[in-house]
Amino acid sequence: MRIPEQVHRLAIVLAIVIGGTLLTRFVIIPRSLVSTELHWAQTTQREATRPLKFAGSTACQDCHEDVAAKKAKSFHRVLACEGCHTPSIKHAEDPSAAKPTVLRERKLCATCHAYDPSRPTGFPQINVTAHNPLKACVTCHNPHDPVPPKVPKECAACHAQIERAKAVSSHALLTCTTCHKAPERHKTAPRTALPSKPDSRDFCGACHGQGAAGAPKEAPKVDLSTHGARNLCWECHYPHLPEGRS
Amino acid sequence: MTAQAREGLYELLEQVTGFIYPNEIEIHWSILIVVYPYVTGLVAGAFILASLVKVFAIKEVQPTYRLSLLTALAFLLVAPLPLLLHLGQPQRFYEILLTPNPSSAMAMFGFVYAWYLMGVLLLEIWFEYRRDLIVLAQTSRSPLNRVYRVLSLFSKDVSPEALAFDRKAIQVITIIGIPSAFLLHGYVGFIFGSVKANPWWGSVLMPIVFLMSAIVSGIALVIFLYMVLTALRREPIDMACLDKITSYLFYAVIVDFSLEALDFIHRLYQSEESVKILGKLITHKLFLSLFVIQILLGMFIPLGILVLAKARGFNDDLRKLLYFTAVILIQIGIFATRWNVVIGGQLFSKSFRGLMAYKMEVMGLEGLVAALVLLALPFVILAVLIRLLPTTRLEEPLTP
Repeated sequence: MRIPEQVHRLAIVLAIVIGGTLLTRFVIIPRSLVSTELHWAQTTQREATRPLKFAGSTACQDCHEDVAAKKAKSFHRVLACEGCHTPSIKHAEDPSAAKPTVLRERKLCATCHAYDPSRPTGFPQINVTAHNPLKACVTCHNPHDPVPPKVPKECAACHAQIERAKAVSSHALLTCTTCHKAPERHKTAPRTALPSKPDSRDFCGACHGQGAAGAPKEAPKVDLSTHGARNLCWECHYPHLPEGRS
Repeated sequence: MTAQAREGLYELLEQVTGFIYPNEIEIHWSILIVVYPYVTGLVAGAFILASLVKVFAIKEVQPTYRLSLLTALAFLLVAPLPLLLHLGQPQRFYEILLTPNPSSAMAMFGFVYAWYLMGVLLLEIWFEYRRDLIVLAQTSRSPLNRVYRVLSLFSKDVSPEALAFDRKAIQVITIIGIPSAFLLHGYVGFIFGSVKANPWWGSVLMPIVFLMSAIVSGIALVIFLYMVLTALRREPIDMACLDKITSYLFYAVIVDFSLEALDFIHRLYQSEESVKILGKLITHKLFLSLFVIQILLGMFIPLGILVLAKARGFNDDLRKLLYFTAVILIQIGIFATRWNVVIGGQLFSKSFRGLMAYKMEVMGLEGLVAALVLLALPFVILAVLIRLLPTTRLEEPLTP
């Protein structure tokens, strides 16, 4: 049977397409783009030629045994030394020639400890703007042996804004416990165990009532029987930054 | 985080309801991914309409045969563009060709596409047009005659045996072409249907629903183009052809609707843990695009119009008007179908407890303008194709 002319022509086109594909696949494309092993090997080689920067935690242990032993038992045991102390291969090679730079900024710790709802429950997290905002983390926390968040002794750790407002107010010398009785549980469960607030007018009246015995001279005085009779004092006056001065 | 990013995040946060995971706030598959299955569906549908003539020998549909093929080609050429734009570096498209990945379901589109374009559509068009290309190469002026000569691959044989061979070849290619067209669009449905983590997508019915809606949209598009083309050329419309195709369209819409209803009832009866959030999704986020545009405007009203046009023996002009309205509504409805699948599937959280919002860009690689350009581009290509390749068989006597 005679092969029709159009089949010849299509066969030529097909041959060109197939030839082009084979040429591209086996000649033009570099081998490393096709073979995974070659691709990996080339990448490894390329990376291996780069200058080394990190010494590795084992190198640090050789000299800083005490710190390493402490850290090995701490919550930070999985962190690498050079994560905070920056890449230090030069220091490892010649300790006296180069000192590692230590990152002490708050933002380094915040990388892991800033509040983020997707972090696991129980992971220590803080509100960076409210948690002792002006202090470096390392002033209170030892990064080689961070302990679980300690219950604050003072209210300011959490209520820093109030603390700062009070510090410049005429109530600066009063302690928080003068007015608030905080149950011990408030430190571990702040939202369920709430501290008390003054619940009577006489409480403020002890200093601000006319004719109160032993009241400080400089405290402004009001007649409790006529002044805002139906409200508690702090419903109108903000006790952490009271407006009245005499 | 830059100040601008933070502002953008706050703007998005206001549109979120309920609980979502942090990485769900951005809708990654944009309107371009809506355009992609829509355009691909038009290709498959147009081709299946063309195959009615050759495989099932439905003579009435003959006037739209070539138009269907050219429509399929014009839209097929545009089909990968939304994907390439969405990937962000369209100028690197050739890398896909250099390093094919046979184990990726997504990369499989390249193989299906290449097979359908080169193994089916171009081949069928070439055999269909070979004689006409030879005629045109002889009758048209330079430099167009050279173009025709190249397109005909310098073929010259117009003997009756050669033409008989062309017809035979077309027959064979069409028979291979039908499963290929099914594969092309079934594949698009398969990609969505196989995402088992997403209850809105993960359904075995997905490829079939996609396919049926593709047939609906393809037939409707060819009817639309046929009516516009005859109007532009001031030719009479072949009403027998139009009545026949619209009755196919009618059946296709019925089947499509039944499949979608089946899918819906099946989900409702299965009532998996996702059913509540999906209920919220369709009543809160997709109410307009699903109930109003897709089902009411895109299905019920066109079905009503088609029933009316068939049953009441209207005159030709009124029937044309009714058909024309119906096919436009169907196009809008099918576009809404794609929107509801692609965007709808990304509007609820994997936690099943929250809903997100999709804010469409206007400019930019993935914006509305890019989508409109991509939707207009096939018509430009089609205009060029129709200018080059006649939609009716040439009758000029051959010069010896």
